[in-house]
Amino acid sequence: MRAMYLANYFLSGCIAFSLLGWVASLHPHAFRAVLCLLAATAIIWCLSWLLDFSLSSALKISVSDLQAYLIAAGAMFLVGLGVYLCT
Amino acid sequence: MHLKLLVLSASSVMLWLAPLTALDKNLDIHKALQGLSLTAAIACAVTAGNIARKQSEQNEIEEIKTRAITADVVDEIATSAYISQQQRQQEAEQILNPREHLERSLALTCDDDSDLETIVQKELVEREQNGSENGESERAERIMQLKAKGWGKAKIILEIWGVTKGGSPKYKAAEAEYKRLVEEEEK
Repeated sequence: MRAMYLANYFLSGCIAFSLLGWVASLHPHAFRAVLCLLAATAIIWCLSWLLDFSLSSALKISVSDLQAYLIAAGAMFLVGLGVYLCT
Repeated sequence: MHLKLLVLSASSVMLWLAPLTALDKNLDIHKALQGLSLTAAIACAVTAGNIARKQSEQNEIEEIKTRAITADVVDEIATSAYISQQQRQQEAEQILNPREHLERSLALTCDDDSDLETIVQKELVEREQNGSENGESERAERIMQLKAKGWGKAKIILEIWGVTKGGSPKYKAAEAEYKRLVEEEEK
């Protein structure tokens, strides 16, 4: 059951990134806005990898859990946008 | 609940992939439909995730309950085994006659067989005279030692008389003797 709920949350993340791609395709301004959002997210993601130990103590989770969340976020981004762009 | 979960998960996947592959991105109406279906897919996936998480938490609670019940049963068995062992030990000590103890100890120390019987007789007479007093004083001493260790009344009675707490006549007699010995010691 735990795997089921993790899979569903992962799926919702993937769909959210596809929706972001869909929003970006609506208008050039929306595209730029989404690009800025993605750039900011990418910076935060990289910083989280660099500061994983201090972040894990601040968030009160283990380092391995934080790294798992970051990997899952990266995978969601790749799968979500990949599906939107390839279809 | 499982069926609902499966339906929600499957519908979220379908709502995500089907409009993106089947509909044309250049047509406005198709694009709007894609947006709607993606939003609905997110809603389905999040709902399914929440349901699954609640189910998982309930399962964990059930597991904890089962483990607690098992631990209780094991503890109960261990306690009853300990009590029965104490009772057996007490019974064994009662069965072992003090006469036997004396004979054994004298047989180790004395070699002359003719003197042995007279010595045994004398010792036994002395022992019978002092037996009850010594036993009581030993018990009283033991009670005070255990009380100093911080043991409770019921535990001390179980240790010395081998009787568990309850309304049995044995326990009542042991309790009365315990009170008497404690009062004597305190005086």
